[in-house]
Amino acid sequence: MNGTRLRAAAAPLVLALVAACSGQGGDPARQYGPDPMLPEPHQYLLPPMSVPKVVGWKSGEAPTVPAGMRIQAMATGLMHPRIVYTLPNGDILVVESNSPGSKPFRPKDYIQGKVKARAGAAAKGGNRITLLRDADGDGVPELKTVLLDHLHSPYGVAWVAGTLYVANTDAILAFPFTPGQTQITAPGTKLTDLPAGPIDHHWTKAMVASPDGSKLYVGVGSNSNITENGMDVEEGRAAIYEVDRLTGAKRIYASGTRNPTNLAIQPGTGQLFAVVNERDEIGPDLVPDYLSSIKDGGFYGWPYSYWGQHVDVRVHPQKPEMVAKAIKPDYGLSSHVAALGVTFSQGETLSPQFADGAFVGEHGSWDRDPLNGYQVIFVPFVNGRPSGAPIPVVTDFLAPGHKTVRGRPVGVTLDRTGALLIADDVGNVVWRVSGTAHR
Amino acid sequence: MARPVGPDGVPGPFHPFFIGLGGALLMAALFTDYMYSSNALMQWSNFSAWLITGGLVLALIAVIVLLIDFAIGRARLIRWLDFALVGVAAILSLVNVFVHTRDAWTTVMPTGITLSLIVTILLLPAGLRGWRVTATRVPAPGERA
Repeated sequence: MNGTRLRAAAAPLVLALVAACSGQGGDPARQYGPDPMLPEPHQYLLPPMSVPKVVGWKSGEAPTVPAGMRIQAMATGLMHPRIVYTLPNGDILVVESNSPGSKPFRPKDYIQGKVKARAGAAAKGGNRITLLRDADGDGVPELKTVLLDHLHSPYGVAWVAGTLYVANTDAILAFPFTPGQTQITAPGTKLTDLPAGPIDHHWTKAMVASPDGSKLYVGVGSNSNITENGMDVEEGRAAIYEVDRLTGAKRIYASGTRNPTNLAIQPGTGQLFAVVNERDEIGPDLVPDYLSSIKDGGFYGWPYSYWGQHVDVRVHPQKPEMVAKAIKPDYGLSSHVAALGVTFSQGETLSPQFADGAFVGEHGSWDRDPLNGYQVIFVPFVNGRPSGAPIPVVTDFLAPGHKTVRGRPVGVTLDRTGALLIADDVGNVVWRVSGTAHR
Repeated sequence: MARPVGPDGVPGPFHPFFIGLGGALLMAALFTDYMYSSNALMQWSNFSAWLITGGLVLALIAVIVLLIDFAIGRARLIRWLDFALVGVAAILSLVNVFVHTRDAWTTVMPTGITLSLIVTILLLPAGLRGWRVTATRVPAPGERA
């Protein structure tokens, strides 16, 4: 009798919870390009999510590529590879890394930890850089060796004039390095500190060198989804820094970029571009992640607003004067794709349709149902600007049925031959996609 | 150990201790919610989330202890008014703990603090009536408990 009463009382609550979870995402195609459809934001009791279980790649399995192109696993058995980088001599660096970890603040953090672990985001990173050498360009490396070990959640790498720069989560280290070397034993010198702990919510420090090599651009993510760890810990975060390569002097180049997960320089123009991951938990179709050129001194909205002047009510106190300044990004990639990698194509190395544009690695996330991302796309450019619908290039990281995940793409780059390399941090693989020009 | 004794000299139930402890945590969350609403320092909202979580854990324990009270004869009848006050407060607090998992300002404003206020209004009379949802006395024929 007691029990039935309780159950009867609980029924409306359970219904309310179920209703709160049933927000289904719409067609991502409505959110591609400069003017994405933006629905009204919602506040949930339980934000909609879908957490695919990690199963990894079985022997012989690989992602799907368009007809006429070929994909092969260039390296396997890695420890959470995040970034791939090609040196001038053709050697390939693979940065194996994961979050330094953070301490829980509130009950929710324990639950989120469990969700992350199920999605494969909690695996231990190698904290090292592995070198792959494929001198004959057949996609099968003759050498695979650990170049540099005992790093601290590294992410970005850049080689400029005899020096290899490694962006650990807390500092840029500089190592004397000549391409051809297969091991670095010299201790690095610290070029400059970067915003890091004790929270370090978005820990990755993407990095790219300016065209003349004098500056390093570094992406620093916010310390929260939307300031829920307090405003004070956001000082100097959600920004792209410009660091002088020789002196280490740094300044904030652009701000309001919630999580600038990767950076690339456009060939020809030298323009800096970034992929930026936007905020979560206000709906399956909010807020689109984006690819954008980055203006010196530009402010891109976070935390006060998104996609220009769309105010986020979760931020307090609000700042209308900052909202007014917020720049609209160039190109929406649709919501919760978690774009983590970006690199520009260099002519028709893969296929004539990929001659001018950028490849974007979409890690995918669990903040949306149905899932979005989990693929590498190509964003075509016209007259130096992203234009038109993206073209899926490498797909089927999710197993058929989309209930389990085999791999998740992160960093992308081109190798010496123009083949596309992809770091897969859940499959622990580096994939190589070669095109028509390679046959 | 001193045994709880009811007004009629019969040993009293154990559950009021757990309801009272949990109720105190839930009511304290109104204060921490208020602090967050006035200074916007996230730690106050975090305190609220922990207090409500603690209150709900104690509510669960209280339900188990209540069943034990019935099993060992320290409770015979439900006092429905008190049971409703406490039960509704617990259900609203379950909603409130989810509201407090939102991020930043909307963890508390406006829904979270409103729920905390309603929960406190429900729990105050329940507390003043002794945090007790049962009676031990067997009712006389025709009498309502």
